Amino acid sequence: MSTVTLSAVDTRPAGRRWSSRRLWGAGLLLLLVGFALLVPWLWGADPARQDLGRILSPPGWSEPLGTDHLGRSLLARLAAALRLSLGLALLGVLSAALPGLALGVLAGWRGGWTDRLLVMLADTCLALPGLLLVLLLVAIAPGSFWALYVGIALVLWIEYFRVVRATTAGLVTSPQIQASRLLGFGLAYLFRRHLWPELAPLVLTLAAFGAANAVLAIAALGFVSVGLRPPTAELGLMMTELLPYYHEAPWAILQPIAALFLLVLSLHLLAGREAS
Amino acid sequence: MSRLIGQRLLQALLVALVVGVLTFILTRALPGDMAFRIAAGRYGYDYVDAAAAAAVREELAPEGNALLALGQWLGDLLRLDLGRSLVSGEPVLDEIRHQLGHSLQLALGALLAALLVGPPLGVLAGLRPGGWFDRLSLVAAACLRALPPFVVGVLLILLLAVGAGWLPAAGHGTPAHLVLPALTLALGLAAVSSRVARDSTRTVAGSAYYAFARHKGLGEGQVFLRHGLRNVGVPVVVYQGVQLIYLIEGVVVVETLFAWPGIGHALVHAIVARDVPMIQGTALVMGLMFVLLNAGVDLLCWLIDPRRRAP
Amino acid sequence: MRIFRRFGLAACLLAVSLSTVARDGVLDIVAPWEIGGTDPAQAGYVFTRLGIAETLVDVDAEARPIPGLASAWKVSDDQLTWRFTLRDDVRFHDGSVLTAQVAAHALTAARDKPGILQQVPLAGIEAVDDRTLVLRLTEPFSPLLAALAHTSAQILAMAAFEDDGRVSRVIGTGPYRIDIFQPPQRLTAVYHEDYWGEAPAIREIAYLAAGRGETRALLAESGDADIVFTLDPASQARLARNPALSVHSVPIPRTVLLKLNAAHPALNDPRARQALSLAIDRAGIATGLLREPEAVADQLLPPGLGAWHLDGLPTPARDLQRAAALLAELGWEAGPEGMLFRDGEPLRLTLRTFPDRPELPLIATALQDQWRGLGVDLQLAIGNSSEIPAGHQDGSLELALLARNFALIPNPLGTLLQDYGPGGGDWGAMNWSDARLNEILQELRAGADPARASALRQEAAAILHEALPVIPITWYQQTAAVSRALENFSIDPFERSYRLSSMDWAAP
Repeated sequence: MSTVTLSAVDTRPAGRRWSSRRLWGAGLLLLLVGFALLVPWLWGADPARQDLGRILSPPGWSEPLGTDHLGRSLLARLAAALRLSLGLALLGVLSAALPGLALGVLAGWRGGWTDRLLVMLADTCLALPGLLLVLLLVAIAPGSFWALYVGIALVLWIEYFRVVRATTAGLVTSPQIQASRLLGFGLAYLFRRHLWPELAPLVLTLAAFGAANAVLAIAALGFVSVGLRPPTAELGLMMTELLPYYHEAPWAILQPIAALFLLVLSLHLLAGREAS
Repeated sequence: MSRLIGQRLLQALLVALVVGVLTFILTRALPGDMAFRIAAGRYGYDYVDAAAAAAVREELAPEGNALLALGQWLGDLLRLDLGRSLVSGEPVLDEIRHQLGHSLQLALGALLAALLVGPPLGVLAGLRPGGWFDRLSLVAAACLRALPPFVVGVLLILLLAVGAGWLPAAGHGTPAHLVLPALTLALGLAAVSSRVARDSTRTVAGSAYYAFARHKGLGEGQVFLRHGLRNVGVPVVVYQGVQLIYLIEGVVVVETLFAWPGIGHALVHAIVARDVPMIQGTALVMGLMFVLLNAGVDLLCWLIDPRRRAP
Repeated sequence: MRIFRRFGLAACLLAVSLSTVARDGVLDIVAPWEIGGTDPAQAGYVFTRLGIAETLVDVDAEARPIPGLASAWKVSDDQLTWRFTLRDDVRFHDGSVLTAQVAAHALTAARDKPGILQQVPLAGIEAVDDRTLVLRLTEPFSPLLAALAHTSAQILAMAAFEDDGRVSRVIGTGPYRIDIFQPPQRLTAVYHEDYWGEAPAIREIAYLAAGRGETRALLAESGDADIVFTLDPASQARLARNPALSVHSVPIPRTVLLKLNAAHPALNDPRARQALSLAIDRAGIATGLLREPEAVADQLLPPGLGAWHLDGLPTPARDLQRAAALLAELGWEAGPEGMLFRDGEPLRLTLRTFPDRPELPLIATALQDQWRGLGVDLQLAIGNSSEIPAGHQDGSLELALLARNFALIPNPLGTLLQDYGPGGGDWGAMNWSDARLNEILQELRAGADPARASALRQEAAAILHEALPVIPITWYQQTAAVSRALENFSIDPFERSYRLSSMDWAAP
């Protein structure tokens, strides 16, 4: 039986949905994306050019973000890393969210045997040791990031599935959907008008964490020396590479962490509901 | 209840089959000369050479028919014989028991610590959504979630072991050695579960029955205990099941950093060295462990939520 | 009530903190090497370094053989029969006595497994009587004593072996016997009362394998470890500044070198190899990455190996112009973005390396950028160490970066025979061989008098330096951070022993 939550549906007109919280989130995200795309235009330093005489130099005029342990410009590297990581995180999240969303709506909407079958599929997938799958996939295709993201997607779609299924199951019997169905509206309308507004915050929250998880998974694998591919700049790998220098150059490792933090925060703010 | 157990048993069988076949296929798809890899795993990079690899190759059973090998493995499995590790020569079951025990210690310690920290803070934030505590906890959660576990670990060691000297920096042997690794994992978990608890609390606190309970004149504490706790509890408990995935990822890093003899660390070595019996055995045990833990989560939910007991 | 709570809290903290103080009397050692198992061929080095197992022959600081479990030895005139006289007062940790039969059994088991003893041309191992062990060779082999000093030739009791030759328990003769054995990370050992030699001052030791350099440095700083081996370059300066620690650094005979396929069209001319070597910024790598300015390698074998080292060679400096000129002589021309082309083919090479030694991927990344300045497109493949010998065997290897140990046995001849023989070696020359070098190595192997041996060694080193079948980059230093509570710590440059039995706690 579903619990009727009268305050659940957001009935404000669309224009008011952009509260200050969401604006902050969008702004931060735009800042990050802008940084990643504009730095190579405006600055033009090569993220792979080394200078072993000037390693770990602090931020200064010639290098606004300092240099890393090989003397490479951290500004250029951070921008390159953001480009790669944002792109691949988006890919990873989409490849997890889309099947999870689709199957979750299907399971929650239909119920019955479809639901049971899909839940069994999800539980079996969940039981497959994710780490093992990712490691095996990376071992099969060494030096490529896609294997990593496919592995992570295989593990993460279940989250979306469960959350979407639970919410959809609750909404299917709600009065507003019953009313719309009686009025003869089709599935597309029902999804757009009733389901998606409810699902969006949940899915986007999961996406926020999912993106962070993808980057951190790469960092974790790099930590155990799997999936390294120099001189590619990747956010998680930068964290792993700069770890040994945490004491003499803490600003270096703080940069990819700060970038990831801003990403997570911005997605959260974008996704979050208004305080009621 | 019995239906739940029956479902989980069926799932366990399915998992065993799927995991077995999948790892079998995947390990066959691994590139590289297996004999050389195993020799490197045994003798190290100073001594691995063609002669050592040839000696290993003689030891390995000939490849033969893939289906036959799979059938053989499944048959061995029925006799609970997981084979011997190709690198160390010890029985796989013994090695897994030793390492999994340590990993479980770590995982359970982390889960417990996370449960103590995360949901309570999340509930506090959820009871006053939009307030300063809520915002602060959002920033803190995002911060913790953006920090890779090895950074959290190093920070904790610097603070509590090197700085204050209260705890050992790494290693294992005494209960004190468990604290820092478990805490490192717990902080990451707590960040997420606090947000889940916060969202759930917000929904519950804004619901009609909650408002009604307040109207009845019950104090805040009573309202929460009677009406809030269980309802908040369900999504949090369910989420713990999903959290186990993150736990396993974090476990590898934490085990490597703190020199903790767990299964994540061993699994990475096994895959690098192409120690096929170890890989297959570990995959199977981890899969079954998940089923067991999910069954535990189901049981908890069943106990908490009376609606699930309805036929 | 409150007082009780406060007391309780204080007691808990005290108990917890006591558990962290390096327990009195127990020497805590932390090193990066895991305990791979019980077999001497796999993890034997852990046991000999800790003084749990011993070998027939030991070596002194100049790599000269000195008595170990064998008190004396004699070689026949034809150099084919070696007689070893064993000590007569040696007991294993399980109480059994060391006899020549036991030693023969251990050596035979070791010979049947991959390892150093398989390089020795053994005809037979025999126990003539309880105290005398005879080794018969098929041809003269002068590094035999060094080979017997290798850890895989450690002598274990009969009870340590299973019927199929596997070692199930480590029962040695050393001053320490294993107490708690938890591979791959930890073991503890206590003093062996029936030890034949001088009793060690420290009665209990504990060994922990911690793979990450950061962890090891933190263990040294927090006081949880009394000795920490192999400090990562970034932590070394910080630890040296710590008043509670002393940092030791000793050069060891291990070289970071580039193994190359001399049959590759881009690498088959010595001038190409010279050019690649000239384009390397060794000073930058040594100072910036390894934090050891002394580590720049001007030749393959480091100083401290006697006549194997050529004195007076100029320090290699990066000379891009000369390197470019050499490649131009070979027909390479600069194309777009400065990359070199010849007959339409780019100069693209793949370098294999492995992450087991953390500095190797770092040096490889540095090389990638340094050679880009020359116009070489270097691709990196960081994988498993076995891919290098595998690539050597199937011919697919182009370049490999590795850290070669020239003191596998305490005589570089052992490694050189393996690596630079007629067919090359898995870790040495590939598709390259020099007739004169082979002659020299064979003569040294059979045994030559000291003056002639010296001259031959110098000649061999010169040949390797000129022809560059492999390109040396830097030498290694072994580092350790030691608590000031310890006395008499020293690092063995041959990495055979931690010299625990000569250490003692400093007077407070």
